Amino acid sequence: MDKLASLLHMTPAIFWMVAKVVIVFSAVMLLASVWTWVERRGSAMIQDRIGPNRAKLFNRWPILGLSQLLADGIKFFFKEDLVPTDANKKLFWLAPFLAFVPALIGFAVIPFGKDFVSGGITYHLSVLDPGNGMGLLYPLAIGGVAVYGVLVAAWSSNNKWSILGGMRASAAMVSYEIGMSLAVLTIFMTTGGYDPAEVISAQGGALWHVLPNWNIFHQPLGFIVFFTCMFAETNRLPFDFAEGESEIVAGFNTEYGSMKFSLLALAEYSHLMTASALVATLYFGGWQVPFMPDPPVMLSILSFLVKMLFFAWVFVWIRWTVPRFRYDQLMRLGWKAMLPMSMFNLVFHAWRMSQGH
Amino acid sequence: MFMTFALITLLGALGMLLQKNIIVAGLFMVATFFGVAGLFLLLANPVAAALQIIVYSGAIMVLVLFVIMMLNSHEEEKAETSRPVQRWVSVALVLALAFGAVKLVLSSAGVKALDLRGAAMPQAMTLQKVGTTLFADHLLGFEVAGLLLLAAMIGAVALTKRNL
Repeated sequence: MDKLASLLHMTPAIFWMVAKVVIVFSAVMLLASVWTWVERRGSAMIQDRIGPNRAKLFNRWPILGLSQLLADGIKFFFKEDLVPTDANKKLFWLAPFLAFVPALIGFAVIPFGKDFVSGGITYHLSVLDPGNGMGLLYPLAIGGVAVYGVLVAAWSSNNKWSILGGMRASAAMVSYEIGMSLAVLTIFMTTGGYDPAEVISAQGGALWHVLPNWNIFHQPLGFIVFFTCMFAETNRLPFDFAEGESEIVAGFNTEYGSMKFSLLALAEYSHLMTASALVATLYFGGWQVPFMPDPPVMLSILSFLVKMLFFAWVFVWIRWTVPRFRYDQLMRLGWKAMLPMSMFNLVFHAWRMSQGH
Repeated sequence: MFMTFALITLLGALGMLLQKNIIVAGLFMVATFFGVAGLFLLLANPVAAALQIIVYSGAIMVLVLFVIMMLNSHEEEKAETSRPVQRWVSVALVLALAFGAVKLVLSSAGVKALDLRGAAMPQAMTLQKVGTTLFADHLLGFEVAGLLLLAAMIGAVALTKRNL
């Protein structure tokens, strides 16, 4: 590490910072684009179809249709870039970025592996080092801002369907944020800290000698609420009210095409990756390896990746198995089921803590 | 850094005032909130910055924009007659307020202490400290604020629901 940094005329700290930013954001973007393929192959598998399998790399290797990604990317780049006549042009351009940037930077605070020491310096495997004071409030804040991408895209298109989609998205986002925040608050309470590093290190060890000491086993109710709210936050089926193809054409992105549409789609998948990483960090011990008090660094990264990608797959899995909700059902579920459950979870754990557990 | 965030805040506020389109004005206001959050960060208070973004940008402005979209009036209404007196009175009031605020800040105890001791690096605020401060030093104020919000919530429900 030191040698590489001195070769590039940088201090190890700065070199590490740059390396982290590049690795994390390119990994999230890459995984997000790979997940568009996973979604298509997965949906095909679930619906007993074959899915994309024709695109070949250099006209030779089909690799399970994975090269479809490149074909799609190239196609989107060369498509005509249309802007509706009556759209608010500046905001129409801005919206994909407003959707994409929060989806990507939400990942910054999540540790994706165990800290390691090299040359007397401790290196943290998260873009924002632990003890930054924002902790897990940061992904909550970024998640709250993510709705502006949808809202601005919807309004600037100047299309009735789009505005309906945007309104639904904003209402759903605000309703589910409360239940989600209360679930996360319970974790802060039982951990005694709100830094993701603290949340993860509190989940080490074993529970009753048979289970890993993960928060899911302490707060199953909180996990259910949080995971459900993540579907609403990422606007994915069964809660995809911003799009709602069978009701409002394509919702907020009706007027979007070419690379701008691609960016909106990538934003959705990056958001999905961040959401899965959050679920893994909060409830499944992050980089902790079960029954291994001090895992090697590479194994801890692998453990985190396995957990994150598993939840990313669950997002796809649920999308293609559960039918979509109606809008009023979504609101009822949010306010009359998720919020009270989350509230109960909070009060229950507060009571347990007051009893000295 | 301070200049960047201060400029974002001020330009956002200015844009909000001058913009005729209500939705765009709302987005300018979000930019202002982000500028203020940045200023909080510079003041070693990341918790306030995060809460500023969660509460104001993430919830309140989203609801405001939601209502504007629902009412479907995206342009500011034109005034029926121009009212020069109001304009000048408001300018005078703003000037008086700004002058008073600057004077208050400059004559405050904090600035005097800063002169005497120099700028020491402040301890960064954490959520734990916010909690203990709220429940130890400002318990009464906290409870009163909670009661006020509860009353407002009940009032809103009573107003919107026809038959309770």
